[in-house]
Amino acid sequence: MSLLEVTNLHATVGAQDQQKAILKGLNISVNLGEVHAIMGPNGSGKSTLANVLSGRPGYTVTDGSMTLADEDLAELEPHERAQLGLFLAFQYPVEIPGVSNMEFLKASVDSLARARGQEQPNTAAFIKQVRLLAASVDLDPQFLKRGVNEGFSGGEKKRNEIMQLLLLEPKLAILDETDSGLDIDALQVVAEGVNRYKNENNGVVLITHYQRLLDYIVPDFVHVLADGKIVQSGDKSLALELEDKGYAWLT
Amino acid sequence: MADLSLPQVVTIPNYFSQGLLALPAELADSNDAPSLLTAALNSTLHRERWKYSKTAPVLEGLNNAMNLPTIVGGEQPGIQINHEPQQNLGFGFDLSQAPEAFARLCYAQQVLFIHVENALEAPLEIHHSDSTVPVLLSLGANADAILLETFTGNLQPQNTLWISLAEGSHLKHSRNSLDEAKLHWQYLAVDIGKNADYLLNNHAAGAGLRRQDIQIRISGQGANAELISASMISGKMALDQQVTLEHLVANGKSKQVVHNIVADGGKCTFNGRIHIYEGANGTDATLSNKNLGLGKNATINTKPELEIYTDDVTCAHGATIGQLSDQELFYLTSRGISPQAAQALLSEGFLRQCTQGPLAEAALPILINAIKQEQVA
Ligand SMILES: Nc1ncnc2c1ncn2[C@@H]1O[C@H](COP(=O)(O)OP(=O)(O)O)[C@@H](O)[C@H]1O
Ligand SMILES: [Mg+2]
Repeated sequence: MSLLEVTNLHATVGAQDQQKAILKGLNISVNLGEVHAIMGPNGSGKSTLANVLSGRPGYTVTDGSMTLADEDLAELEPHERAQLGLFLAFQYPVEIPGVSNMEFLKASVDSLARARGQEQPNTAAFIKQVRLLAASVDLDPQFLKRGVNEGFSGGEKKRNEIMQLLLLEPKLAILDETDSGLDIDALQVVAEGVNRYKNENNGVVLITHYQRLLDYIVPDFVHVLADGKIVQSGDKSLALELEDKGYAWLT
Repeated sequence: MADLSLPQVVTIPNYFSQGLLALPAELADSNDAPSLLTAALNSTLHRERWKYSKTAPVLEGLNNAMNLPTIVGGEQPGIQINHEPQQNLGFGFDLSQAPEAFARLCYAQQVLFIHVENALEAPLEIHHSDSTVPVLLSLGANADAILLETFTGNLQPQNTLWISLAEGSHLKHSRNSLDEAKLHWQYLAVDIGKNADYLLNNHAAGAGLRRQDIQIRISGQGANAELISASMISGKMALDQQVTLEHLVANGKSKQVVHNIVADGGKCTFNGRIHIYEGANGTDATLSNKNLGLGKNATINTKPELEIYTDDVTCAHGATIGQLSDQELFYLTSRGISPQAAQALLSEGFLRQCTQGPLAEAALPILINAIKQEQVA
């Protein structure tokens, strides 16, 4: 069954008088249970796609459509998209001093439960669950008391994103270069987290720069994004080919 | 501008001539206190410090009735409390910077003179209800104390506190000023001796006008001062914070972090002056004042002022006025949190960064509640 449908998506970035076209007719279709990798040169629009799908302010959809579970994403605010089941693991997670990780995670879980008409978890059970998840991605539970991502290293920030993925269990996970800047141990922790999350009732869009991650998370499809469009799609062997030949032969 | 004047002629209390307190330098060789005070009140320096709040109503209240604050923890060993100064313990009085505070001391029929001789077991608490008599608190060499200061009242209260810290002493001072007075003036002067340290955790909510004068002097080498302050000023309320930090001698350290939220219609002034005297080599002074405006008509004035007369110093200061960060808001909303709830979390977080110490728990719900009221309105 289809989870994400993106059709002929055109999007610009920037204020009204100086909009710059970035996505120029992008198509992608993700079914339940699938992992799609999106690769492409720097500046090709990978993060833009992730941002447009999750509703980040500053981007304008000028043509085309995007739906998640048959709901039109363009009609929804960022928090409503999250409530519908969309999750973005940020390329650059922001630091929020003064708001503790635990408080933030509780606010998030409560908001999602409320929106879905589910019961909010009891606090003690919730804290226990979060501590276990943190430990499972090698994050010291002490981090949970600190401000959101405050003073975290690059690798800790990425592992915190994966911890949130495991906690929130979205329908669709978009991971924007979660592997960049990680050493091999951290990369394996991140990959293990994604594999643990993945099942027949959700989908993954894995934006990455390197083939390396795909040794650990095996994609069903690999797409190449260049100049705002998918210019090539294939199976995981395409990633190996890109590793050998670079992107130039495609663009 | 009309000339400012005191409500009543001052007479210098006898304990000054008895040598139990040191007169301000200006008065040491003059006995014309009334005209010196009037000159100080009308000086450019003083006018500048009162530019954002009306001086006259505060001056008119200087000789109003004063009551004794409630003291808790005053019975423990190591504390002596008297109603007159008993010995000269290094309090500093600055006529040019705070003529009104000195005048109030002169008008007071009695004072609270508290001396702490060693390390206290329990905190010393001072609860002010409306206008209270001047308090003079001294810590002897190597003494160690926690001071908790709270305030209730709704008229035109005035509270003045002088603190003197002898060599090697430590004072952690927490102060909550959360009641909605019509016009609240709080004066605080701290003199820090050699290797002594002083920490002030200051929390304030709005009043008609709450004026906080904080004057800290690093007067012994290696002394350390820290001011951490959080305030929430909602509609039709005003806060005026005038902080002076003087480094008179070498190797002192000071750090100030002041976060203020000003909501629709509120007004907030922060003036942080750091004065590093000639010869105060190796001074390390930092000041950060961040202001968050919520709603449309918040008025925020902030001015860090540096006067540095030594080359060998490290001094960092910054002041910002802003709204909530779009990036932080997006991060929270991308996790399903509504924009309203995300704004509340971020505003609370902004204040929480500077809400610390033993009175934080009492202050935080009140400050946060004021944010929530604002967001509902
Ligand atoms: N806020 C912005 N304002 C202007 N240009 C932007 C902005 N964000 C991204 N861009 C531009 O859009 C293009 C695509 O960026 P991005 O989606 O981040 O690429 P990728 O993630 O593939 O490296 C780049 O040329 C980048 O400079
Ligand atoms: Mg990118």
